[in-house]
Parts: sequence; structure tokens; C-alpha cells
Amino acid sequence: MSIEISNITKTFDSFKALNNIHLKINTGELVALLGPSGSGKTTLLRIIAGLERADGGSIIFDGKDNTKKTTQDRKVGFVFQHYALFKHMTVFENIAFGLKVRPSKLRPSKEEINKKVHELLALVKMEELAKRYPSQLSGGQRQRIALARALVVEPKVLLLDEPFGALDAKVRKDLRRWLRKLHDKYPITSVFVTHDQEEALDVADRIVILNQGKIEQIGTPEEVYDNPVNPFVYNFLGNVNLFHGRVHKGKAEFGSLKLDVPEHLEARDRQVVSYTRPHDIEICLEAQGHEFIAAEIIFIRAIGPIVNLEMKRVDNGEYIEAEISKENYRNLKLKLGQIVYVKPRDFRIFIPEDYVI
Amino acid sequence: MSHTVKSFRIKQHSVIPGFGITMGFTFLYLTLLVLIPVSMVFFNSSSIGLVKFWEIASSERVLASLKISFGTSFLAALVNAIFGLLIAWVLERYTFPCKKIVDGLIDLPFALPTAVAGISLTTLYAPNGWIGKLFASLGLKISYTPLGITIALIFISFPFVVRTVQPVLKSIDLEVEEAAACLGATRLQTFIKVIVPELLPALITGFALAFARALGEYGSVVFISGNMPMKTEITPLLIRTKLEQYDYAGGTAIAAIMLIISFIMLLVINIFQWWASNRHK
Repeated sequence: MSIEISNITKTFDSFKALNNIHLKINTGELVALLGPSGSGKTTLLRIIAGLERADGGSIIFDGKDNTKKTTQDRKVGFVFQHYALFKHMTVFENIAFGLKVRPSKLRPSKEEINKKVHELLALVKMEELAKRYPSQLSGGQRQRIALARALVVEPKVLLLDEPFGALDAKVRKDLRRWLRKLHDKYPITSVFVTHDQEEALDVADRIVILNQGKIEQIGTPEEVYDNPVNPFVYNFLGNVNLFHGRVHKGKAEFGSLKLDVPEHLEARDRQVVSYTRPHDIEICLEAQGHEFIAAEIIFIRAIGPIVNLEMKRVDNGEYIEAEISKENYRNLKLKLGQIVYVKPRDFRIFIPEDYVI
Repeated sequence: MSHTVKSFRIKQHSVIPGFGITMGFTFLYLTLLVLIPVSMVFFNSSSIGLVKFWEIASSERVLASLKISFGTSFLAALVNAIFGLLIAWVLERYTFPCKKIVDGLIDLPFALPTAVAGISLTTLYAPNGWIGKLFASLGLKISYTPLGITIALIFISFPFVVRTVQPVLKSIDLEVEEAAACLGATRLQTFIKVIVPELLPALITGFALAFARALGEYGSVVFISGNMPMKTEITPLLIRTKLEQYDYAGGTAIAAIMLIISFIMLLVINIFQWWASNRHK
């Protein structure tokens, strides 16, 4: 089922949680709503589910206006961050709940319910725990049960509110891979909310980046990571180095570093900020022309295949973060306190007046 | 092996010391305050012998008073369980002006001397009282009937259910209700299948407290009941009547009967309560 969110606005007291949101989610897509806390992502999800009423705009499922429908009639699966399992019911009863509350005409027989619940228990690989109560399960297990419970009614839309937020790192990674696989097997239109960019980049087909109630960018993980439209997205999607400087007629100057920026030919002596990801920083042992800045290595973390380096610029004392391969690190024989020459291999320049971080 | 040994240990390791002294104090306190006075009842009544005891216990007047006492108390506790839950719900789930004041009103029946409550209720519900008048025109008499006793008992035991249910209601996650709604449950289904089971232990506790309190109530009931033997005479009053006639053995015998029945009923309620709160552990 496709979801069309059109012109949604929501205000809490005086706080504008959502501001004219337009978004189309295609059938079978797995979309991540990504943003910092207070960006309105959970509110948007709750409005899609009907748990919250929007002040204006409409929610359209498959071309049908659902704005006025109650949660019960929307037939969405919803998974909560803190599981929201029914404490007094066993795992089996929790999953069967959605089937048991159907009006008697639509309610499946006891055998059918039994079969369906066991199917879902098998899907979440928890068949042996059917008789347990939620308090006897671990966080990861609870969330899988919550997912099974949401899926039992065969929803056309699955909404997940920070589903892995309360779990520890290892379980989180396992579960999100598992969710991705599950979605590949049963492509239900899914929307999940997260503040973890790694999670969004890892799992989603498309990412919607929200900030202060507005959509900043929509795109595939590659698109948003490689081509952030503004400094906020750049900052939010990973570590970044900032170089403050000026641009004049297509030439950028950041202290001793001089770069050609053909996309800013018309700029006349403007203050700019250049953004570079740590893995796009090139390190040389000797200075080569004007495209390099001298910096002192002040920290090395050489665990795993990627070596993290922290450097301090010699000219203005700004910090630079870099990630290089272990092989490169060994070849360069880098040491603490050593002076190296640094160049951004890839960078984006934003003129700050146009954007507010 | 070590597991079986462990399960027999009473004392568990705790960061706060003082198991021995607190446990000892608990027993001493309970003995002084509950066990000794209660056993005095049995001790005194035993002086008359089993035959006489049975004679008193099975006398028509005593049976009638027990019926009225337990019947009206049970009814009052039941009414309080239902409406107490409703009031707790309103106080926890909604915001309205003067909520704090309304919340404070709940405890008033505890603070008011029961005789005051009895007199004001009697005046109100008497056939010529403000409320009694309305019912009298319908041919319904409230004061001086078991209905009047029930109203007095509802009044004095009213705060228990509200106060036991309130904190539990507060602790129920709204998300659980939202989850039920997403799964297609109607509001009624959500209430009955999701909320009530969570509230049940607290509700039973509140019911048991209200029931026990109503059973022992004397002050307010004597005014509103009219105290007609066989019709509106409650057991505590009958006991007092016996004592006034210097029939100490007879009075304590009735008290003993009442204690035994109360104890059994409260035990049953407690077992039910224990079951309700432990079934999902």
C-alpha cells in the first residue's frame, strides 16, 4: 500500500512539531525517518497511524483519504520503542490478540489462530517461548514478539518507532539486519523512525531527513550520504571536518590551503564553510603546492582496519579528523606529534548565510 | 543441590542490613497489636463452653444480624469497587479545573468522625430529608432500612478503592492502549482485555480493604439503621447490646463468630488477589 502524506502540520501548544510535510512512500518500500530528537519524526509516524491528529493536511493510503479514520480502522502495524507488550498475557496471547479482538464474523477459528501464531513465532524464531510472559524475555526477544504481534493481522503498512532504540549495540545490529531480510521476503510498506544515521543508512531503501518539523532531504542512502543538500544533512549523516574560509571568483582560501571551486564563480569574497568527511582527507609526508595544509598528529586510534587520526592545523589550530586504511597508515609510518600535510580529496562548500545550522 | 538449599533460605542478601531486628519487631508488633487482642476474644468466649457457644451462634437474631452485616458490607464494597475505579480513572486520565481539590475530597470520609457522617446521612436520607423526600415520593425508604446501612458503609469505605487503583492506573503505559488500538481492538475491548487485568490486583485489594472496614463499622450505621432487631441490626451493634447487658461471654462469642467468618472471607480474597497479581510473573 502506498502512503501519501500531504501538507501535514502539527503544533503542540506553541511548538511547531511538523510544518507542511509532503512525502510519498511507495508500495513495498522501507523508508527511514531520520532526525535528531524534537525533529518531529515520531509525531509524523503517529499521525500516519492515527494515534495523533494533525492540525491540517491529509494522509492518503492507496489513493483513499485516511485522515479521518480511527487507528482501529487504518489497519496499520505499529511497533513501539518500549515494546508495549501486554504484561499479563503470554507471548502466545500477545500475538493472538489482534486476531481475537476481531468481530465474530471475521474472527478466525481457534485452530486457525493457533496456526497463524505459530507461523509468526517461527518467523521471529521464538517458538519455544510461546508460554512465557514478557517479563521473562530479554529486550531483543520482546521487540521480536512486538513485531510478530503487529504482523499477525497482516497489516498493509508497518510503522516502527525507534524499534531498536532500547537495545544494546550488538542485538541492535542483528535485529536490523533481520528486519531488512524480513522486508525483502515480505515487502510490506514500512516506515521506521530512528535517530541513528548508521541504522538508517544500513536498512532503508530511502531516507527522509527531518529537522525542526521540516524535511531537509529525501533520497536513497547513497544519495543522501554522497550528496547532502545542506550543512545540516552533511553534519547529521556522519563525522565531518569543517574548514572556514572565503571564496572569491571560483577560488577558495582556507588559511594556507587554496582550492579551485568552479561552482562558486559568481561569489565575490564570501565567507564559506567547506565540509569534508574524515575518509576524504588525504595525508602526505611532504608538502606539495598550495593544496595542502600542515598539521600535527595529536591522536591515533589504530584499532581495526580503519585508523582514526586527529590532527591540529599548524596555521590556525583547528582540528582535523581523518580515517585512513591500516595499510596506508603503515606505509606512512605515522607517529604522534609528527607534522604531516593534509588535503581534502572531496569537499562541499556551503555559503553559511544561505543555511542556518 | 545448591539450588534447593537456596530456596529454603528465608534471609536474602540485601544492601540494607537489619533483617533480624526488623523481622523480630514485626512479630512483636503484630503480636501486641493484633494477635493478643484478637485471641482475647476467643479466650473470653471459650469460658461459656461449646454448647452454649453454638446456641448463641445459631440464634435467629445473631444469624439475622450477620446476614445484614456481611450483605450490606459486601454490597458497599462492590459499589465502591465499580465507582471507585471510575473516579480513579477520571482523576488519573483527565485534567480539569480544581482537580487537586477534588482529589483531596476523596479522603474526607476517613477524616470525618463516623458519628457525624451517620447523623448527616440519616438526616439527608430520612423520609423528610432532602434526598429521602425524593425517594419517599417513589415509595422507597432509605434511612432505617438495609439500603440506608449500605449507603453509610459506601460512604465510610469509599476512599480505599480510589486510592489503591490510582497509582496502578498511573503506571499503565498509554502505549499499551495504543498498541491494542493499532491491532484493531475497540475501546471496550482495550478496557476489558488490556486495562482491567492490570488493575485487577489493586482493585481486589481496594475491595478487600473496603469490605473489612465496612464490616467493623459501627459509629455511622447506628444512626441510619434504626437498629430494629432481625431487620436492621448489624452485628457490631448486637455485640454492644450484649455488653451493655453485662453478657460479656455472649458478646465475645458473637465477636468470635464474626472474626472467623471475616478471616475466612479475607483469606479467600487475598488468595484471589495473590493469584491475580502473580499469574504473569
